Amino acid sequence: MEKEQDYLEEDVIAAKEAGKTLRRFLRSMGKQRVRLVIVIFSVAAYTTFNILAPLYSASAVDLIWNRIRKLRETGQNFAITWEDGGKQIVFLLLLYAAASGFYTLQNFLMASFAERLSLQLRSEVSEKLHRLPLSFYDRHQPGIIMSCITNDLDKMSEALQTGMIRLFVAVGVVAGSIIMMLRFSVLLTVVFLGFAGVSLLLTQVVSRRTLRCASRRQNALGKLNGLVEEAYSGRTVIQAFNYEKQSSQRIWHAAEELARASEKTDFLINAVNPGIRMVNRCGLVSIAVLGGSMLISGKISPGIFQAFFQYANQAGEPITELSYMINAMQSALASVERVYTLLDEEEMTPDVQRSSLPDEIEGSITFSHVQFGYVPDKILMSDVSFTAKPGQKIAIVGSTGAGKTTLVNLLMRFYEVSGGSILLDGRNTSDMARAQLRSCFGMVLQDAWLFEGTIAENIAYGKPDATREQIIAAAKAARADFFIRTLPHGYDTMLGSDAENISIGQRQLLTIARVFLCDPEILILDEATSSVDTRTEMEIGKAMKALMKGRTSFVIAHRLSTIVDADLILVMQNGTIIEQGSHRELLHADGAYAELYNSQFA
Amino acid sequence: MRTLLPFLKPYRGQFALVILIVFADVGGSLLIPTITANMINLAVGGSSVGRIVRQGAVMLAVALFSGSLTLVGGWLCAKISADIGRDLRTAVYDKSLLFSASDFERFGTASMITRTLNDINIIQQSMINIVQMVLPVPVMCVMGILFAFRINRDMGWLLLGGTLFVLLAAMVIIRRAAPVFEKLQGFLDRMNVVLRENLTGVRVIRAFHKERHETGRMRNTFEDYAESAIRANRLFAGLDCIATASINICIVAVLYFGGSRVGTGEMEIGDITAVTEYAIWVLFYVMMAQMVILLVPRAMTCVRRISEVLTHEPEITDAAGAAEDEGGDEVIQFDKVSFCFADADENTLSDVSFRCRRGETTAVIGGTGSGKSTIAKLLMRYHDVTDGQIKLFGRDIRGISQQELRSHIAYVPQKAWLFSGTIEENLRYGSPDASVEELYHALDIAQADFVRRMPGGIRAYVAQGGTNFSGGQRQRISIARALARKADLFVFDDSFSALDFKTDAALRRALAEETKDCAVLIIAQRISTILHADQILVLDDGKIVGMGKHEDLMRTCDVYRDIADSQAKGGGQNGERTGLS
Repeated sequence: MEKEQDYLEEDVIAAKEAGKTLRRFLRSMGKQRVRLVIVIFSVAAYTTFNILAPLYSASAVDLIWNRIRKLRETGQNFAITWEDGGKQIVFLLLLYAAASGFYTLQNFLMASFAERLSLQLRSEVSEKLHRLPLSFYDRHQPGIIMSCITNDLDKMSEALQTGMIRLFVAVGVVAGSIIMMLRFSVLLTVVFLGFAGVSLLLTQVVSRRTLRCASRRQNALGKLNGLVEEAYSGRTVIQAFNYEKQSSQRIWHAAEELARASEKTDFLINAVNPGIRMVNRCGLVSIAVLGGSMLISGKISPGIFQAFFQYANQAGEPITELSYMINAMQSALASVERVYTLLDEEEMTPDVQRSSLPDEIEGSITFSHVQFGYVPDKILMSDVSFTAKPGQKIAIVGSTGAGKTTLVNLLMRFYEVSGGSILLDGRNTSDMARAQLRSCFGMVLQDAWLFEGTIAENIAYGKPDATREQIIAAAKAARADFFIRTLPHGYDTMLGSDAENISIGQRQLLTIARVFLCDPEILILDEATSSVDTRTEMEIGKAMKALMKGRTSFVIAHRLSTIVDADLILVMQNGTIIEQGSHRELLHADGAYAELYNSQFA
Repeated sequence: MRTLLPFLKPYRGQFALVILIVFADVGGSLLIPTITANMINLAVGGSSVGRIVRQGAVMLAVALFSGSLTLVGGWLCAKISADIGRDLRTAVYDKSLLFSASDFERFGTASMITRTLNDINIIQQSMINIVQMVLPVPVMCVMGILFAFRINRDMGWLLLGGTLFVLLAAMVIIRRAAPVFEKLQGFLDRMNVVLRENLTGVRVIRAFHKERHETGRMRNTFEDYAESAIRANRLFAGLDCIATASINICIVAVLYFGGSRVGTGEMEIGDITAVTEYAIWVLFYVMMAQMVILLVPRAMTCVRRISEVLTHEPEITDAAGAAEDEGGDEVIQFDKVSFCFADADENTLSDVSFRCRRGETTAVIGGTGSGKSTIAKLLMRYHDVTDGQIKLFGRDIRGISQQELRSHIAYVPQKAWLFSGTIEENLRYGSPDASVEELYHALDIAQADFVRRMPGGIRAYVAQGGTNFSGGQRQRISIARALARKADLFVFDDSFSALDFKTDAALRRALAEETKDCAVLIIAQRISTILHADQILVLDDGKIVGMGKHEDLMRTCDVYRDIADSQAKGGGQNGERTGLS
């Protein structure tokens, strides 16, 4: 199967700096380099033995045949003895044994070589991932990074594992076989090369068509995927309106379209090998006829005829495979290059260890002439100053995209300020270790992130040693206890990675419970309650209020109802704070906040 | 596997043909060296060039004929598997339509999509591979050995021995590799999951300072994967080497034993070439098959996953009965209804009783998890009640067909779901035969007059999931879809929350006129939406804690008052300009 699909390789994206990447790749092989040298040596030996074997067997056959002919003239029977052929055959056996030995050696050495290499690169990446600044994650889609770590490295490993050996062997075998064939008969070799050329051409034509068909199949698959996704997501509507029959029809049509497209693609993929085989066979027929005539006229011996056949067989397939294999190696190199690019991404500035936080944190936060921009030459926040006293509630408002998360990013040091400073209890946060700083904060983010694990594990994420009682207490405080109890396995219910067994509101409740359990000094509530209904929101509000007592809290919300009682309201627009003050002050000022407030209440 | 048989049955004729072609293909492969051997024998026997050429012509004919047949076989195989793939997909989808909400959630949307697409894809590909590469193996083995026996008995035994040895080795290794491969697939999935979590949750991970923990988690999955992959590779390498060595030993053995046979005249010199080629072909086919066989367990997992869907007994069985509207006022009655999700230890709804009458609006209000949406789901029979009864026109809804039940109800789901196509197509879900005027009328009542202003009007294009419309617009179209239906009961499952207050109010006014002869059930979060309902049910933890009109409930029901207060305080929810607290 693997072989059949080789011809389906997508358009090759060559590495940008192939030479440089290759050198670095060799360096990555590090300790395994000795292994690679042995493999290359072994491949060379194997190929040589493989080329010599038919030659030697030809001479053995001829020897035997000559003895037989001679003995037949005298009417005697021939039997192989040590002197008569036996020696040659044993030597041939040794040749083959050596070839097999080297073959085994290289296969076993390569079995772990490529995987170890990709494990090494993957581990490097996994460490790198947490040294990267957040801006990296904001710039790159998760899917692309993921494909770099999984697909790209898998591709590399496969190319190395089978592709590399096959490439070396193919080059050796093709070159060696052609030289041998030329030695036997130039005419027959030319015939062979002619047919090989035809099959090469055929592969090219078919693979180009296959690519076209495959992309058509991909489209049909995408269409069906969309339709199925839509139908499953909207199944209650389909059922509510008794629309089952029509909907089934629609799916059938899309499935039929896909079936026809796959039929063509699969046929073309299936056809390549038999097609090549057919051409090769026609080639063998010509060689057989020509060779047969030469045999009659005594130009060649039966042994040579047989050896030529063996060489033709041996070299026929690799010739058509060569171009594919070179492409595969190129795209593997491009894959590795992408991994290196990831590994070369700029990292965060290392933590400064000198100042440590006191045990008791009061929780005052001061922005002092803070300057910030996501891109250095585009400053969004030019000179922001404000102070949140311990225990105060700071509200952040602004329309979507106004930059409310910017503030969170700066507070948590997900991003570094470009100028000015942020002080926690009067100490500059950039002088603290990030982990230390972040442990003071409890945060509920817009997208409720849960991981594959039980509900209890998810709640205890920030505090893995929490007891079941503590977890349940946190869940109760977050009003999540009731729905958790109605789930099939309660607190031990496994959440899928997409946690589709619970609703968005419920996911958010779980992330709130997570923060409850950690009991942090400062809270950041990032629109946590936007998809929880008003009553639940109020319940959470009450619990939060208790939690907020003596703690500083930053609340981001669209609903002005939750923030009118804030001690300080920060109004954000285009990534910067344009107004600040209490509710009353801001209404008085009749600026952006007043306008926002009136529009929501009108 | 048994699940698949009915799907294969319609294609038995074509399958038989494919098998026939396999014989032709294998025969062709073996005839070429046989004829070559003949030519050698003729040539060394001092035959004429003419006879050689004649042999060549036969060989060419064999090559072309078997080659073309192979191509036809490849095409047939692709066609059959594509057709079966299509049939399976449709079957899985049709089955899903019979599922209740719980049935469906047992599988989950994502998993159902994977089953319908990827799993069947894998089955389809495996079928092609099996037919193309595994099916010919026994044919090749048997025919190859027979051909060898035809030349010389000892050659036959030799080939038989070699073949058996490689087959045995392949079997042993495949048996050991199968679980490794299955594990490998699991580790691959796990690697993807953990990576995705790390990438999407980077803020949370850093906020909780779990970087090291997560790096360790990733590392573990990478190591597990690498370890399994290496084990699988080693097994493969082992089999590969055994097979290669076997081919080589066979070649030498043929030469040794064949040489003596030629010497005694039992064989001819060209036969050595033929037998060597037979051995190479047989072993080549076995080698090709091993890769495919290793992937069979994965395909079997997919088959099992498909079977799970196809054999799953729908929780809700359909009755045949019809419900007659006997002219009474009462459309729906909940009679002491309780509902508990399977395996949950607490009821989601307990002992809920109420009636929906014509001309009346019934409203349900309560917090998240109070069970209010479950009421609509039970009514639509997406689930069956655990206790009590729901009656339509006095008849238990479990006694009538789902189609019949739903034809009396116009339902607006919580999540406004539009299907790709046109607005008109979406509206016709409600009422296939409605005139264009009627559809526009429904849109007008739903306050979806924006459709009139769109280029193309109701012919306007709706993207997948309705993403080219705003949440409010989708909701209004979804309401219009229900309104286009002639129904006795309108169910609005939290359908107004995406609308702004002005639209909400205007819609309810228009709705009151439109539905005056029908029963209406509104499930809502906003007090303002249900202020004027004829009866309001207040749900808390699955129980009715208050029932009556707004004014009564404000006096008597604490939970209701809490909700009202929470919404009045900020004013953000009900649009009333209230004082600041």
